[in-house]
Amino acid sequence: MPKPAVHTPQPAPESPNLVVLLPDPGKTTAGRAVVSNDKGSVELNEAGAAVLVSSGQPPRAVSIESQAVQRKFADALASLPAPPEHFVLFFRFDSEELTDESRRLVQQVLVAVKQRPDPEVVAIGHTDTTGAAAKNIELGLRRANAVRAILIDAGLASAAVAVRSHGEATLLVHTADNVFEPRNRRVEITVR
Amino acid sequence: MGRIIRLWVFACACATAATPALAQQPAPAGRIKVVAGEAVVVRGGNTVPAQNGFVVFASDNLRTGKDGRVGVTLSDDTQVSIGPNSEVRLDSFLYEPGQGQLALVLKFIRGTAAYVSGQIAKLAPDAVRLETPAAIVGVRGTTLAVEVTD
Repeated sequence: MPKPAVHTPQPAPESPNLVVLLPDPGKTTAGRAVVSNDKGSVELNEAGAAVLVSSGQPPRAVSIESQAVQRKFADALASLPAPPEHFVLFFRFDSEELTDESRRLVQQVLVAVKQRPDPEVVAIGHTDTTGAAAKNIELGLRRANAVRAILIDAGLASAAVAVRSHGEATLLVHTADNVFEPRNRRVEITVR
Repeated sequence: MGRIIRLWVFACACATAATPALAQQPAPAGRIKVVAGEAVVVRGGNTVPAQNGFVVFASDNLRTGKDGRVGVTLSDDTQVSIGPNSEVRLDSFLYEPGQGQLALVLKFIRGTAAYVSGQIAKLAPDAVRLETPAAIVGVRGTTLAVEVTD
């Protein structure tokens, strides 16, 4: 929008936008946000901090009671989906067989899946750096598919589980090539 | 941004060489997880009723009527929800961390919204831009509530 070259009295602010920083899910602390436009910027760095800004006006920090925030945003906040959950299952060397410890963790994955009305799972297979990279892509995929089979056996629709493999490209523990590392033999699972 | 564009062009070139048909098709950005009352997805001028499990793409708008609300989870774990008489646009979304393609632009058009940051904000905070009509919000691992008054 072209701006007048000469300063004229500003009209009363219209359509103010309100931005409120909230605690992160399951925490009492908040991240950070910066609200800016070409007139200025305001940083929000604690839970409950708020900024009002209108077009063509600098953003300004305002205080707003948490009850007012809860009231104003009740419907929007109530519509946030359940937070995604993450799991890591580990596998035996050069195998799509779970370690004993991870076998026990499978139950928690199933609980997370069953709590959701419309679950969606992504399983990404990984390997350590032992062996050829191309072979490890295949091994990672076999591991992800092993997890998929467990979930489908437990009743999840096959279309709800996506599998991928990163092979040895995304290491949990950074190592040189051809290093035997149990913590890199894994499937990372996201349940949404 | 330069890096993202360069990588994107590179990735497109590779993808085109391998699978020309796939390169044209945008990847799903996320799914509707919560819906109540009057809520629609606006895609290229068409309006589709919002439903649980509905797949959303970049360039989609979510819009609610007077009793509507809707919540989505994107594939990088970002969550966005809106209350009644509200609209938000998923202006752009790219989440291919393996190829360094990360971008999220949300436009809060009107009404009330909540935003919970996901992996893109964690991996590349500068790749996230939240826009309201009067300002731009940059985030560092953040949960926000946003209101745009008509």
